[in-house]
Amino acid sequence: MTVVPAARGRRRVLAVLVAVSMTVLAACAGKSSASDGGQSFAVGIPAFFVQNLTPGSSGSSYVDYAIWSPLTRVDGQSGKLEMLVADSIESTDNVNWTIKLKPGWTFQDGSPVTAQSFADSWNATALGANALTSNASTSIFAGYAAMNPPKGKPAAKTLSGVHVVDKSTLEVTLVKPNALLPYILSSTTFAPLPASATKDLKNFGTHPIGNGPYKTSGWDTGAQDIKLERYDGYGGTKALASGIDLHVYQQTGAIYTDFQAGTIDLALLDGADLSKAKKDTPSQVVDVQYPAVVYLSFPLYDSRFANPQLRRAISMAIDRDAIVKSLLAGNAKAATGLAPPTLTGGGEAKCDACKYDPQQAKAALQAAGGWNGPMTLYTYQDPTNEKVLQAIANQLRTNLGIQKVSFESQPIAQLYQGLGGKSIKGPSLLYSGAPYPHIYALADQMFSAGAPLNVTGYDSKVFAGLIAQAASSKDADATTNYAKQAAEQALTDLPVAPLYWPVGGLVHSDRLSGVVPEVLGGARLSVVKVG
Amino acid sequence: MAGYVIRRLAGMVPVVLGTTLLIFAAVYALPGDPIKALAGPGRVLSPSVEEALRERFHLDQPLWAQYGHYLGGLVRGDLGIDLQGHEVSDLVVRAWPYTLQLGLTAWAIMAVAGLALGTFAGMRQGGTVDWIVLTATTVVVGVPYFVIAYVAQILLGVNLGWFPTSGVREGWPASYLLPAAVLALFGIPELVRLTRASIIENRYADYVDTAIAKGLPQRTIVVRHILRNSLVPVVSVLGLSLGYMLSGTVLIEGIFNIPGLGYVVFNGISQQNGPVVVGVCSLLVLVYLIINLLVDIVYGLLDPRISLAGRN
Repeated sequence: MTVVPAARGRRRVLAVLVAVSMTVLAACAGKSSASDGGQSFAVGIPAFFVQNLTPGSSGSSYVDYAIWSPLTRVDGQSGKLEMLVADSIESTDNVNWTIKLKPGWTFQDGSPVTAQSFADSWNATALGANALTSNASTSIFAGYAAMNPPKGKPAAKTLSGVHVVDKSTLEVTLVKPNALLPYILSSTTFAPLPASATKDLKNFGTHPIGNGPYKTSGWDTGAQDIKLERYDGYGGTKALASGIDLHVYQQTGAIYTDFQAGTIDLALLDGADLSKAKKDTPSQVVDVQYPAVVYLSFPLYDSRFANPQLRRAISMAIDRDAIVKSLLAGNAKAATGLAPPTLTGGGEAKCDACKYDPQQAKAALQAAGGWNGPMTLYTYQDPTNEKVLQAIANQLRTNLGIQKVSFESQPIAQLYQGLGGKSIKGPSLLYSGAPYPHIYALADQMFSAGAPLNVTGYDSKVFAGLIAQAASSKDADATTNYAKQAAEQALTDLPVAPLYWPVGGLVHSDRLSGVVPEVLGGARLSVVKVG
Repeated sequence: MAGYVIRRLAGMVPVVLGTTLLIFAAVYALPGDPIKALAGPGRVLSPSVEEALRERFHLDQPLWAQYGHYLGGLVRGDLGIDLQGHEVSDLVVRAWPYTLQLGLTAWAIMAVAGLALGTFAGMRQGGTVDWIVLTATTVVVGVPYFVIAYVAQILLGVNLGWFPTSGVREGWPASYLLPAAVLALFGIPELVRLTRASIIENRYADYVDTAIAKGLPQRTIVVRHILRNSLVPVVSVLGLSLGYMLSGTVLIEGIFNIPGLGYVVFNGISQQNGPVVVGVCSLLVLVYLIINLLVDIVYGLLDPRISLAGRN
């Protein structure tokens, strides 16, 4: 049987196709990167940690703290405030502050960190046109309003309340007294910017030149491998490990799998992965208390929820311990007040309604005149939240006899839009994280009238008075006490019912030691030791 | 032939335009506000930043105006920027090679395994091998996809350590074999059954009896006569599944942490990032259309009786 020429031609076509596809595959096959041995370790992180490391867009993840060193730092374990780049931060009236810098701090390109570097950073964040996501945090400074008018062009390009006196002195004027300024300035949001950054802010987020213990040559969006190197000119206590390999994960599910396979040494886990890690290698898990609270937020603008007795009934009908134990596998603490104990002023507080007491809950419901019709509970799309919300719905049915309870989970943007527009007509399960570890931060952002995260419509003169006293106290203990009283006042009025304080865990390989939590969760990378 | 290809290519223009509009409208119709979502849970953007972003992305304008801006950019070769300020074209250029490697590797595995098993089962119809193949394909179809992926990852990656568990650090082929094999499983059952049915149909055809009577060797009969005639329906499935392999990688890329297009689309949808979703999806639509065209051309090569010119 002879082979017809046409068939040969076709075979050639197929051969060419195969060859082409193989070439394509070979051409785009990436080079494998061997990890260098010695004194570096690998950390698994979610992609959003490295989306944008510009201070004004910082999410204050523990990677931010490796690249940046702000004026002050709060220790993740003791909660104590220390001076970092600042030598002193002082004020006589809590409005006008004088900040003095320590000498010898430099950026990773060798340029000095001066008072101007901090002013540049805060001005860049405050300028709305730069669209840096933490813009709102600079509203404490005088002159913010002029830079961010409700409509039209800004009248000023810089903050009038931030004044550079000389290389190492800043004078800062606040909009209103705030004793917490040294705490606020511990966030990487307020880290300094080198002069070169202001020219190209767009690329700076992925090619940051910081003043922290580690430096990086930058990365492309979507990069899976980011190398950090110890910065030897660092102005504080130098980092222990010579380098860190950041392994970036688009979805966090693979992080613990890779840890088990031995490709990463350190990761922050929660939920089911954390429970597995606690079972597999209990001695290699370090607890991390997030500075946050998960709570049920009531729509006070809806007349059905205006009666505090009804809110009390709902709050006391929820068995927080059972939710923490069975649903969250112990990866949380049942809330006994507003803020977790790791926050200054947090922990136990006077909060009667935070207790589980079905009897009292029923009595409170009767005192409120009962509940008629259906009730919808809301949360944003998140598997844990959805489980918790389902449990709450069941407990309300069982303990209060409210039969028509349904729940709805929405995309986060949609839910916050609805809350802002007062169109959400039921309790919502929400999360609130403190930007700095002080009870004042949580109380202020959740309960102060006009605070962007106050979505309940709560507006109390008593609370406002106490929180203002906290902010204008001369002495740190008085500040904490007033802030605690303010939080307790809010929990008496009960616009929200605190449910639990989420807990995460750092899992690390046995070649690492010195793994301790960083202030807002995660690990303090500069003190991790290899070997 | 050339005229036919040009006509087909010209026909793609309205299709691509229509799909971009549809996808754009679908993203636009998603509930919620992408700018509010940008801040993340428990954080709020200040009004001035919201306004700046809305202006930058034309989100303050109606759908048709937004689409007009998008098309205007497209004509200039500009796919737009995502909400973080990255060029969409950069995102696609960076992610595309990963998806291409994963998809083509999976497709190659699928084609080889599917054709071999199908042919084998078809030639041994009713035998033990046939029975095993049929049962196995049924099981694979019945087990949810992500279950297979996770089990393979834990078993072969973590416990046995044969493959990297995730990421693309070790490059091609090491990093891609396991996810590609799992992805290939998605298409193998259909391919096996189709090949098998097609082989069985052609095995008893008159021309096969003729070939046997001529005393041709078994291999020649199977490959040149039976297989070639059985391939016509199989090729269309192979073509379509290549499109699948390139676009159906969202889940696999997530599980195996591969920074490809699937991840870009997933993020684009969750951030309601119109330009990103439209850019990537339009690209995938285009790939589909071109694969379809190639399939039609290959038909003609396999079976001279199928004429292309008459099929418009």
